[in-house]
Amino acid sequence: MDTIIQTYQLKKTFKEVEIIKPLDFSLRKGEICALIGKNGAGKSTFFKMLAGQLMPTEGDIHFFGKSGKEMTQSRKRMGFMIETPEFFPDFTATQNLEYFRIQRGVVEKKRIYEVLQIVDLANQQKKRFKDYSMGMKQRLGIALCLLSSPDCLVLDEPINGLDAKGIIEIRKLLLKLNQEKQITILVSSHILTELQLLATRFVFIKNGVIVDDLSKEDLDEKSKKQIQLKVDDTAKAAQLLGRAYNDIQFKILPNHIITIQNHVEAGGEINRLLIDNGVLVMEFRMEALNLEEYFLELVEGNEK
Amino acid sequence: MINYIKSENYRLLHKKNLYITSVICLLLIVVAAVVLHYSQQQDPNFPYATSMFLYSNIIGSGVLIIIVGFLFNLALTGKDTSLIKQSVSFGVSRNTIFWSKLILTLSYYLLICVVGLLLMIVLGESILASEKQSVKNFLIASVNMVPIVLSGFFIIHVLRMLRISEIYIIIMLLFLFIFSGDLLRILFRPITGFNELYKYAPSTLLNENLMSFFDQAAQFNYNYWVTGIVISIVSLLIGARKFAKLNID
Repeated sequence: MDTIIQTYQLKKTFKEVEIIKPLDFSLRKGEICALIGKNGAGKSTFFKMLAGQLMPTEGDIHFFGKSGKEMTQSRKRMGFMIETPEFFPDFTATQNLEYFRIQRGVVEKKRIYEVLQIVDLANQQKKRFKDYSMGMKQRLGIALCLLSSPDCLVLDEPINGLDAKGIIEIRKLLLKLNQEKQITILVSSHILTELQLLATRFVFIKNGVIVDDLSKEDLDEKSKKQIQLKVDDTAKAAQLLGRAYNDIQFKILPNHIITIQNHVEAGGEINRLLIDNGVLVMEFRMEALNLEEYFLELVEGNEK
Repeated sequence: MINYIKSENYRLLHKKNLYITSVICLLLIVVAAVVLHYSQQQDPNFPYATSMFLYSNIIGSGVLIIIVGFLFNLALTGKDTSLIKQSVSFGVSRNTIFWSKLILTLSYYLLICVVGLLLMIVLGESILASEKQSVKNFLIASVNMVPIVLSGFFIIHVLRMLRISEIYIIIMLLFLFIFSGDLLRILFRPITGFNELYKYAPSTLLNENLMSFFDQAAQFNYNYWVTGIVISIVSLLIGARKFAKLNID
């Protein structure tokens, strides 16, 4: 699979404080990768280094396999929106995009209208940027990213400040860009449930270090938290479980329910064990964590 | 670089500030000449209604012209420097940004200076009493001022690009173009070989230029160019180097 972004031992220090510890990261073509971390984890610093806004203290960045000056040139194949998009407040959407169109050498003027249509701002193109709502500003930021038909988008908090409708629109737009135009996306957001609906890969960052890197399938698998059973005889079931697994952790709850916190991967065996020994299993459920809970367990669980 | 310059030009031409600042600058010149003219109409003995006096306001206002350059730079760039990060993200090199912005603001600044100069001569020679060789003297003194004023403009550009606050820029300009001569004289008086250094200070040169103009003895002097070029090259090189490593967020 082609690698779009690759960092090697990328490090950023501010006043002798390591914000990003030597970090190796790669983004492969076609992925929608979510970078997840608490405030101050180093997400924005990492994005800003990718965007060239911050100079790395150490390490190297490659885009499309290219480094150095060639990598800087390769930025033209990427679209960055880091935090709030900046535009000239007194310019209209069209004027703002025209400024960047000229700057990036996009030949066709009609491209401005095309990208405004993609982000659903075509009918607001004459409005001045300062009169735009937060959601419209974010969408114009994405339009700017799309102006030069990029292969990859790097979006830091693209749904920041948006209402529910705006969030759904951006999600649909990003999915469409990924599926129809094969645009690779690296995205961060504080709204983890939204990322779960969007991303195909999840990278967790804490104190400038990647602490976990999972595909959507891995996350689903890893976030299986516990088995919940409803049996006719909880005492007998508990006895059987204790005998079969020395270190098993389970709780007996009202209404004939048992929850098992470990040996989750042995769910099938547990089920058979109970049935073979005459315990009637009325309900067997594998309970999964959502991304938010997984994140909290990963980040805050480690802190405890 | 051409694309970046074109885009910056598009921005400048679509901003009111360029037109407003230019009109204000030119209007001030017209007002100054008209006030002198009408003062003489009111009082025939009014001694300052001469082209010489009008021109001396420019020759004696080197610092003011540099401050106008600062205001011009401020009006043209304003808060727009915050958009630099977008350009950097999209692969425009910091060098391109640094030099393109300089080329463009300098071009407009020079244009307004030349128009102002011509307007001044036209007004001075048409509605005020003109003295012999006053235009020639004015032009020579102006040419002497050019490198000093431009060095001030370059310093402003560098400090603005490095995001130094406006108040520090003004302090720096005042120090360099008003107090530098006195300071160098005091500091290096006891050191043989350096005790003449103050003669090359911008403030000393600007004063000297004004004196020669008043004496109607303005002459082209390479000292202005030496000082101007040294300050310009040093400030631009340091600026470009520092800007290339600047964190922009």
